[in-house]
Amino acid sequence: MQTSPLDLARVLEEEGYLIDQEAATTLFLALALEKPCLIEGPAGVGKTQLALALARAQKRKLIRLQCYEGLDISKALYDWNYAKQLLRLQLAKTEDWNDIKADLFSEEFLLSRPLLESILSAEPVLLLIDELDKSDEEFESFLLELLAEGQVSIPELGTLTSKSKPMVILTSNNSRDFSDALRRRCIHLYLTYPSLEREISILNSHAPELSKRLLQDVCEFVAKVRRLPLQKLPSVSETIDFAQALNTLQREELNYGNLMGTLSVLLKYPKDIAKLEERLKKWETEALQRREQ
Amino acid sequence: MDGWVLIRLVDALRQVSILISSQDIYDAQTCLVRYPDLSAKLILKSLFIHQLQDDSVFETVWRVIVGNSESDAQGYLQDLASKNEIGDNSDGRGIGGQGVGRGSGGISLTAQGNIEDLSQRSNLIPISRMEELAGSGAEFEEMVQSILADLDYYTWINSFDLAFQRGALSDDEWHCHQNTRTSIVREIRQQLLMLQVKLDNSWEPLVRQHWLYKPLSSLSEDEKELVKSSIRKWARKLAIRPGSRWKSYYKGTIDIAKIVRQSVQWDGRLFHLSYRARIPRAPELVVLCDVSNSMASFVEFLIYLVTCLRARFRKIRVFFFIDSVWEVTDFIWDNDLSEVKQEIRSWGHKVSSGFSDYGAVFKELAENILHEVSSRAILIVLGDGKNNYRPNQSEYIAQISEKIRNVFWLNPLDSKLWNEPDNVIKEYQKYCSKVYRCSSASDLQRVAKAVF
Repeated sequence: MQTSPLDLARVLEEEGYLIDQEAATTLFLALALEKPCLIEGPAGVGKTQLALALARAQKRKLIRLQCYEGLDISKALYDWNYAKQLLRLQLAKTEDWNDIKADLFSEEFLLSRPLLESILSAEPVLLLIDELDKSDEEFESFLLELLAEGQVSIPELGTLTSKSKPMVILTSNNSRDFSDALRRRCIHLYLTYPSLEREISILNSHAPELSKRLLQDVCEFVAKVRRLPLQKLPSVSETIDFAQALNTLQREELNYGNLMGTLSVLLKYPKDIAKLEERLKKWETEALQRREQ
Repeated sequence: MDGWVLIRLVDALRQVSILISSQDIYDAQTCLVRYPDLSAKLILKSLFIHQLQDDSVFETVWRVIVGNSESDAQGYLQDLASKNEIGDNSDGRGIGGQGVGRGSGGISLTAQGNIEDLSQRSNLIPISRMEELAGSGAEFEEMVQSILADLDYYTWINSFDLAFQRGALSDDEWHCHQNTRTSIVREIRQQLLMLQVKLDNSWEPLVRQHWLYKPLSSLSEDEKELVKSSIRKWARKLAIRPGSRWKSYYKGTIDIAKIVRQSVQWDGRLFHLSYRARIPRAPELVVLCDVSNSMASFVEFLIYLVTCLRARFRKIRVFFFIDSVWEVTDFIWDNDLSEVKQEIRSWGHKVSSGFSDYGAVFKELAENILHEVSSRAILIVLGDGKNNYRPNQSEYIAQISEKIRNVFWLNPLDSKLWNEPDNVIKEYQKYCSKVYRCSSASDLQRVAKAVF
């Protein structure tokens, strides 16, 4: 267990995740209070990566539940193994009904899904509920008991309480708002695109083969691109891909006039690429003027 | 942290509609005691703020309550400066003012060039003038504007706009200037709000500035994004509001008839449960927007709402009008609204006089378009009803209202302005199913729930 936000930031850095001080403090408080942490932010800023790095840093077993529309309890929490129950019934024709009745709804016939698995696990667990905003509102309400008390209720078995309280991380791309009840139970962390210096460090740790000059150029360029009114702004992973693409083409530095064809690594909508290409001409002229001065 | 300050802070945050539970306070106390080295502000913000949009409110309340008692304003400015660090490292050269400042003895921005130091920016604001304005009872936006005018802000931004247009400013410099602009305006708003809170001795002025209750026309870019993201969320909710027909679905209500039918195949035994759910209604929607100058800021949000709701409707048609109607349905099926704005500008200049004429518009709609519209359609009119003293020709809207299912009118003006002499909304009201005031995001939310 880390003793301060700085300590937490350091162990995360060892796992390859760079976090700023404010976010580290928030996350540290969530860990200290054993509360779930709801991480929000645009796509590609490293929400899921943060959870993965935290699991490694804290030596917790990672259990991941990917949310989608229509996700229900039978896929997230538990289901009864009907086939096995039928087999049991077939074998037990001569037995006393009362024995079979109790037996049929025991843990032996229970199929654990990720949420139940995280509750029943004997070792420390980090439960990542990814993209919760994609799930339905009923599912969100169902999660409240787990988030607040670390327990779940199964009608046939009663209430199951966790052996070691799982650390819960929820992520969201903000495609729908959550209820106050859910927000109240979580510590809220908003991640945004990294600052220029941080992005350079991230690139440096993920792609150490790149030259310093190229790293600096790429990060400055991406920071500039993120100021444009685009449909989808480049994420950190796209920045890494873009830098590696330029490196593969053996470019030592980023030259505005020489980027055609590589922009599709950075931007994913043709319209965004067209907008950027238009702007590139202006930036190229500006860069030329600066060099002449 | 002083317990009394903590209680005041919690009370203030609760008054400005931030939910803080007793558990939150208990957690905050635990953390403050357990981690005395951590910044109290950061701890309380982490534990009390559960959504991004409440961040700025927390900042203001903190400044009013704690900032004063711990003279933390300098710290706040440093916070701000660190947030704006990208692009704020220009050399601060001025580009020369254009026009003579009319400041009232204060400092003129045109003489300062591009100000790089944030504390310098906050020093620019004349406190005495602010106090005078805050006590005058004027509207908040008007006060902000007059302080900006005193600072020569508009001349200053104009000179930068012109410099950027003629290519004298690079993209980086322009971006840096934009940041400065935003932070000056934000600083003025913050200080004015703090003054108002003190003068009124209540948190009411802060509540009024909440993005949900502010007039749509005075939203900042960030707030616009907030409103849009809320619209997306409402639309998602509305889009799943059920209709009256059923279809088989993987979840929902148990479909007994189907289960019985299927069980026949297996000798009366049940293997699978079947479900059914209601499918959304699919009527036709016709949107008619006034895009004369006074309405531009409202149109943006209505169009955004309609775009988000398109999945719910079988057919949507969107028309813009000033004194004649033109169809823009093809332009709006794109989340990027810049094309729509461009379309308004180019068409508006070419074809229109620039003054709304509702009578002529309804006549055109009734004569040329009504026959293509289904009788189950809903018509939504977005307009302020200012007809510039032209004949109202209400027989045409009567004809439209008879032919289609509902006519809803959304009016951004306050209802007491509906009776002004050039306003025809009173004449048209009797032919509408309902007329809604729609000036803020919360109004829009109410309308969205009621209409769609």
